[in-house]
Amino acid sequence: MQFGIFTVGDVTPDPTTGGAPTEAERIRATVTIARKAEEVGLDVFATGEHHNPPFVPSSPTTLLGYIAARTERIILSTSTTLITTNDPVKIAEDFSVLQHLSGGRTDLMLGRGNTGPVYPWFGQDIRQAVPLTVEHYGLLRRLWREEVVDWEGELRSPLQGFTLAPRPLDGIPPFVWHGSIRTPEIAELAAFYGDGFFANHIFWPPSHTQKMVETYRQRFAHYGHGSPESAVVGLGGQVFMRPNSQDAVREFRPYFDNAPVYGHGPSLEEFSSLTPLTVGSPRQVIDRTLGFREYAGDYQRQLFLLDHAGLPLKTVLEQLDLLGEEVVPVLRKEFAVGRSPEAPAAPTHQSLLRERDTRAAKAKP
Amino acid sequence: MTTRLTIISGGLREPSSTRMLANRLEASVRTELAGAGVTVESSFVELRPLGHAIIDAMFSGFPSPPLEEAFGTVADADGVIAVTPAFNASFSGLFKSFFDVLPEETLSDMPILMGATGGTERHSLVLEHALRPMFSYLHAIVSSRGVYAATDDFGSQTNGAVLGERIARAASDYARLVRGCGSHHRRDSFSEETAAMERLLGGGRS
Repeated sequence: MQFGIFTVGDVTPDPTTGGAPTEAERIRATVTIARKAEEVGLDVFATGEHHNPPFVPSSPTTLLGYIAARTERIILSTSTTLITTNDPVKIAEDFSVLQHLSGGRTDLMLGRGNTGPVYPWFGQDIRQAVPLTVEHYGLLRRLWREEVVDWEGELRSPLQGFTLAPRPLDGIPPFVWHGSIRTPEIAELAAFYGDGFFANHIFWPPSHTQKMVETYRQRFAHYGHGSPESAVVGLGGQVFMRPNSQDAVREFRPYFDNAPVYGHGPSLEEFSSLTPLTVGSPRQVIDRTLGFREYAGDYQRQLFLLDHAGLPLKTVLEQLDLLGEEVVPVLRKEFAVGRSPEAPAAPTHQSLLRERDTRAAKAKP
Repeated sequence: MTTRLTIISGGLREPSSTRMLANRLEASVRTELAGAGVTVESSFVELRPLGHAIIDAMFSGFPSPPLEEAFGTVADADGVIAVTPAFNASFSGLFKSFFDVLPEETLSDMPILMGATGGTERHSLVLEHALRPMFSYLHAIVSSRGVYAATDDFGSQTNGAVLGERIARAASDYARLVRGCGSHHRRDSFSEETAAMERLLGGGRS
């Protein structure tokens, strides 16, 4: 099982000081956070993609390429790459290059994007979001898998004799997760192709996540990719920790109360009981996270959101220390106990390569 | 035969004249349906205790368990009686907010009996210019006759009798409508979305 962090890349003033980092500071802080994630033993760093203030990650593969050069081991991913407003040819190119530069430490998560005004900036129309998702992704898969692509769709100009350059590393396309907070359509899409399904999880109640994951698992089996248990599931989570839980609550409350995504709605306590948000001691985070398995089954990837709502870099790095030293080692051990033999490990470039070579060896007479 | 009615009351006070009107509408509809051999199971949804949850759902995007339960009660009904106080020539903000966060399609093809209360008769068209357009927008089937009750209707004896007649007529119309519509089919947007995607994937190029 993989553990990691996913960032939204927001520039939010720290409500306790009123100060906000500059865009440059925030971008550099993101690199520091990613390197720290590797240092404390996490498996994955993922960045969101946004094209409007107050967010900075408009060019995830640029950021990930830079991080790739400054890390050795950690997998670099997105959370999410917009399949609707990005051109599939450009996505294929960007991630192919990133694969080569990072030595295969690359996968990606696809999402539609729900910010209406962004669509026309890229020549698209949010009312077409679902058909765009289906058409663009269908094309992206072919670009990564076929040497020469002739393609014609309804929402993008046709391709004739197109060959992706560079070809994916070792001819293995990056593993794709489809990410969603709310939309069952995305679970269906992931199941149809036998890709990974990432339930963002963090802003919604477990009952909803359970329904989404269950749907994905059933449909994954329906489309003939294997048993429901062999489907590839990722979950988000959001935590704030201090050794003493009262300290965690006291310190995090002003951030929660003022954060654009949470503020002025349910209280910290209500939100914590309704969603997976866990503010407390490392032990509480461990117990809560282990509970995810009860409704999602044995799953493959757990990402935590740590660096948002104006939390200072120093605090985020302390969170990573706690996560790497006290939380993830216990989670690795506990999640392995009683794990279904049918539950696969999270796919990596190496595992996909081995799988292909094994298949090729078997196919030989 | 059994018909499930859900009565939504947006009254804010305790006791509430809005709830009183809701009770009288429910009782009258029950009597009418009983006369036609139909048993009624009624569930009341009071909006006041859900006030915080309704605003929270607007901000967070998802309902807390008590609000979700209320949504379920509405979705499972074969007919809905909805009663609001009238404020400033329209329904109350809380009443509107409940329908703003109610999942889409919940009221699709749902027979609805409207009611409203207010300080004076001057508000009486609130049923026609505020409630009916909203329910039409939500694809509900709105009964032709709603009931508006002003302070005078509750206060004076003669007017009280007139209100009783208006309630009885509205209930009679509505009972026929509910019987005509039969049992209401609960929409499941979750499986509808999944099915729509399946069709798109099947028809699309890949």
